[in-house]
Amino acid sequence: MTRRRWWLLALGVVCVAWVLGGEWVSIHRGVPENHFIDALGGLAFLAGGLIALDRRPGNAIGPLMIAFGMVGYFGNWGNLNLPVLPLLGVSIGQWAGAPILAQIALSYPTGRLRTTFDRVVVGLIYAGAIGICVVILLVFDPRSAGCPACAWEPAPFPSGPAYLAATSFYQRGGAVLALLFFLAVWLRFRRATPAERRDLTPLWVAVCVIALSYLVGAFASPSPLADPFAYLMWELQSLLQISLPVIFVWGLLSARLARSAVGDLVVELDRPLPPGELQASLSRTLRDPSLELLYARDGQDRWVNARGQPEPLPGPGAGPGARTVMVVERDGRPLAALIHDPALDRGLVRAAAAAAGMAIENERLHAEVRAQLEEARASRQRIVEAGDRERRRVERNLHDGAQQRLATLALSLAMIRDRDGADPAMAASLARASAELRQAIDELRELARGIHPAILTEEGLPAAVESLADRSSLPVGVVSDFDARLPEPVETAAYFVVSESLANITKHAHASRARVELSRCNGTLRVEVRDDGVGGADAARGSGLLGLADRVAAVRGSIRVETPPGGGTRVLAEIPCNA
Amino acid sequence: MPAARENAIIWAMPCSVLIVDDHPGFRAQARALLTAAGYDVVGEAADGESGVRVARDLSPDLVLLDVQLPDITGFEVVRRVHSEPNPPAIVLISSRDASDYGRRIGRSGALGFISKAELSAPALRAVLEGGRR
Repeated sequence: MTRRRWWLLALGVVCVAWVLGGEWVSIHRGVPENHFIDALGGLAFLAGGLIALDRRPGNAIGPLMIAFGMVGYFGNWGNLNLPVLPLLGVSIGQWAGAPILAQIALSYPTGRLRTTFDRVVVGLIYAGAIGICVVILLVFDPRSAGCPACAWEPAPFPSGPAYLAATSFYQRGGAVLALLFFLAVWLRFRRATPAERRDLTPLWVAVCVIALSYLVGAFASPSPLADPFAYLMWELQSLLQISLPVIFVWGLLSARLARSAVGDLVVELDRPLPPGELQASLSRTLRDPSLELLYARDGQDRWVNARGQPEPLPGPGAGPGARTVMVVERDGRPLAALIHDPALDRGLVRAAAAAAGMAIENERLHAEVRAQLEEARASRQRIVEAGDRERRRVERNLHDGAQQRLATLALSLAMIRDRDGADPAMAASLARASAELRQAIDELRELARGIHPAILTEEGLPAAVESLADRSSLPVGVVSDFDARLPEPVETAAYFVVSESLANITKHAHASRARVELSRCNGTLRVEVRDDGVGGADAARGSGLLGLADRVAAVRGSIRVETPPGGGTRVLAEIPCNA
Repeated sequence: MPAARENAIIWAMPCSVLIVDDHPGFRAQARALLTAAGYDVVGEAADGESGVRVARDLSPDLVLLDVQLPDITGFEVVRRVHSEPNPPAIVLISSRDASDYGRRIGRSGALGFISKAELSAPALRAVLEGGRR
């Protein structure tokens, strides 16, 4: 046993002697009360204080609990007819407990009063208690206070009216102080972070017990003979007070219990975890629902979540939204960042991070791979978008350049051809030239449309698909349940799915008809193209469908081809509308 | 929206025409073609904003309007011109095909559409007489 423990043991012996001695005095003086329950109450606070002092050496809650258990027994010891002791009994023994209890409650669980308001409230309660004790020590007279049989001497300036006035004033002021106390408790809870609120739960329970105890105390009397109901209330009040140290000690030790949850975490991590589950496990272990786990990118000053998506570390802050960041390192390089409630015990967070070290390393590698995949996908999307921009530029150039000139030329030829008095042979040649030119214009228009359909830019996807259907050599039915515009990359990808599918149907499917369905559901665009052809298409052959799959994947979409032999072909693409 | 002077154009040939197109070569050819066909080309404009302004100043019977203009689209020009009192009839033209604009041509309020390569007096007359191309 350590030296410190010996000191604690000695303190415990003194405390027990103080309590039992006090009860012995009360019994021998015939004080009418339940000495067993009274002793139990005192011993519970002393035991709780000693346990708290042992487990939380730097925390003031333990000494305060011991002090609370001790001061109440001044009242018992005051029954001895010795100098000073009776006065201490009616002053300290009766009035000094309340401020200590208030300090325990408002400084729970750290033992420190955190706000100025808390300090002011506790200070006022102490001032009130010290004031009434001083008055009693100066003016108390046992005879005028209703104890003519008391053998001990009165205070230096005995005055019954002064004593009554002082206690009456203190009781009225006490009501105000009680309100301030409950206000301070409420403010603490309101300003607390979620984890702090969880830690403050025992305080709430304790405050309810204190309130109930004082309520019961209003009807209580320690004499079993005077009023049985009042005596019952007195015993109930004693029992409620016995529960207080239990609640406080349980709350103080709960962090210790959480450390045992770290052991459970080790067992839990001894199995493969799906992405993101590690964060949930740590969140459960540390009992912080707001906990986040980010991973460091290789060689980069950037962070990603378990899905590989970039996320910034939170900056320093205060208030309910404040977060604390603990960076987990290995060999001097950052692995992960635990972003947690500032109220969490740093040692406990470190213990949990150490226990989950291997799992963190594994999930970081997974997150790194996912981040790289995401970067590759984003890069592919940028390439596709750049290609689409270039297609639009070429189409626009064709429209503004060659098509305009050819249209003007067609106009000129028509005018010359239609001029009166022209040579018939020349007119015939001009007519042939006009026909050739018209053919060239049509082919150029079709080429431009294939590069990028103007109607897609002008009118959106449903109209562009209807235009495709109109120009198809097959009967194509088009059904669309929306008319709104979608992001350009989505519209373009969907358009080319339909365009390529209809081209394949025309060339290979031997179909008599086709059908295109466009629908939006839960933020996803669904494009379905089906035909009644021979089916059996090989999606792996040819670059058309593969190119489509790449294009659709670039906008986070997917494409599926069902083509049973003899059963037609169905191409189904699903593309998130916010791609 | 005020009614366009379509009937007046059909029954009172020749009528006054404004050509709005950003290609000078096409404007020149269109002017020659329309003049030869007996139309009175009263003005030209090279972009949408000036097209709206000239249409208001000259009050032509007909505006031959390119869909793709450098500043605003031909559809926007139609909307603005039609918001004026006693607006002219408008025929849209483009080097693209009507199918490239889908239902937008029908919704625009223009009298009709002619592909630039197919612009001719008979084609224009057909549109003015109600046969949309």
